[in-house]
Amino acid sequence: MNSLQQILFLLGKDLRIELRKKESLVSMAFFGALILVILNIAAGIGKQVDADAGAGILWVAIIFSSVLGLGRVFAREKENGCVAALLLSPISPGEIFIAKVLVNFCLMLLSQLVLVPVFYVLFGSNFSAGPIALVPILLLVNLGFSTTGTLISAISAGTRRNEVLLPILLFPLILPLTALAVKATAGALAARPLTELMDQLEPMIAFCLIFSAAGYLLFPFAIRED
Amino acid sequence: MTPLNRTTFLPALAALMIPLAIGMIFFYAPLERSMGIIQKIFYFHLSLAATAFLSFFVACISGIMYLLRRQRIWDARLAASVEIGVVLTTLVLISGSLWGRPIWNTWWTWDPRLTTSLILWFIFASCLILRSAVDEEGKRASYSAVMAIIGFVDVPIVFLSARLWRSIHPTVIRSEGIGLESSMLITLLVSIVAMLIFWAALFRLRCSQHLQENALRDLQQQLQH
Repeated sequence: MNSLQQILFLLGKDLRIELRKKESLVSMAFFGALILVILNIAAGIGKQVDADAGAGILWVAIIFSSVLGLGRVFAREKENGCVAALLLSPISPGEIFIAKVLVNFCLMLLSQLVLVPVFYVLFGSNFSAGPIALVPILLLVNLGFSTTGTLISAISAGTRRNEVLLPILLFPLILPLTALAVKATAGALAARPLTELMDQLEPMIAFCLIFSAAGYLLFPFAIRED
Repeated sequence: MTPLNRTTFLPALAALMIPLAIGMIFFYAPLERSMGIIQKIFYFHLSLAATAFLSFFVACISGIMYLLRRQRIWDARLAASVEIGVVLTTLVLISGSLWGRPIWNTWWTWDPRLTTSLILWFIFASCLILRSAVDEEGKRASYSAVMAIIGFVDVPIVFLSARLWRSIHPTVIRSEGIGLESSMLITLLVSIVAMLIFWAALFRLRCSQHLQENALRDLQQQLQH
């Protein structure tokens, strides 16, 4: 098998487990929808939310719910000592990293298929742009979040306090990405064209590139059990 | 010099230099025209910020060196610099707030520098939490090395994203030159040097403490077997 086949093989394996158990995806979508409902009530029932506040609400729901799925990706491997088996297999740690990033990316995308419509149902009456305008921003954040998150969840899964440590370690790192995404989303919700959002999208692309490279290089040290 | 003298040399020098810097700040440097006495906080604020950033840089380098060499000394250096960096960044944020309250009329604002310092503080404080959560020495060292490197790599992006907000932070050191009177500049340089010596003293102390702690744990384990 060449490396692309190996990555796709690992990705297929994780997606198959997810399809059969449905543990991460259901909890991600459910928790995210729950946060959206709570924030809708917190914003005041019957009050209109403008594009700026709406963008913040959407990202709070997405980021918080994605952490749930992220925590499971390595915890599942650790439970039965699968990490050791993965490392013994003729697959380089870098390829494991790429496969896990893709798994997270898919999970986030699938949960957003639920969350974004729920968001529009609850808050959408005031926005001038439809959900399609958000797609480039969603894809970029998913990539940045997955690369950073995969690296950090490999670290936190090696500690005794996985669930607590993951958000504590991850949120400060992705704060700039979130801030940029909120700003870009507010612009997109106000139906501004994509070219006007390049000021935010360019640093987001840079974030994705930097953390893809850093994650790929540092992941072997985070996963190795010595 | 005997070993005892060597460990006390830097702290003793810092104990001389910091009072000297304080003395210069209050008696040598002139009173700033518009801000008055409040401007005096700037000398220590900038020195603290410079040394805090130095700590995170040292932490990143130590992290890389640890991952390459796997030597205990680099882990001790990383731990020491992250600890000192978090303390110094806390002081930077506090001293900045104290200055900002009368001058900007607010304790906090989302300016690029403030945001960057705050996020750095969060990242490296979380690195300390991570260290306290892992018991095995090797694991703790590689995990915190990865965190220190990735935290430092995050800095340019944090600064880039923080430009979203307008800046009201004064820029004293610009590319055209330094916007300070010469006596203020000398005071500033003395403060920075004093803080650097203090930093080096702290760094050495904490490093050797970490190494001693590890040696002690080794001895304990040998006794148990």
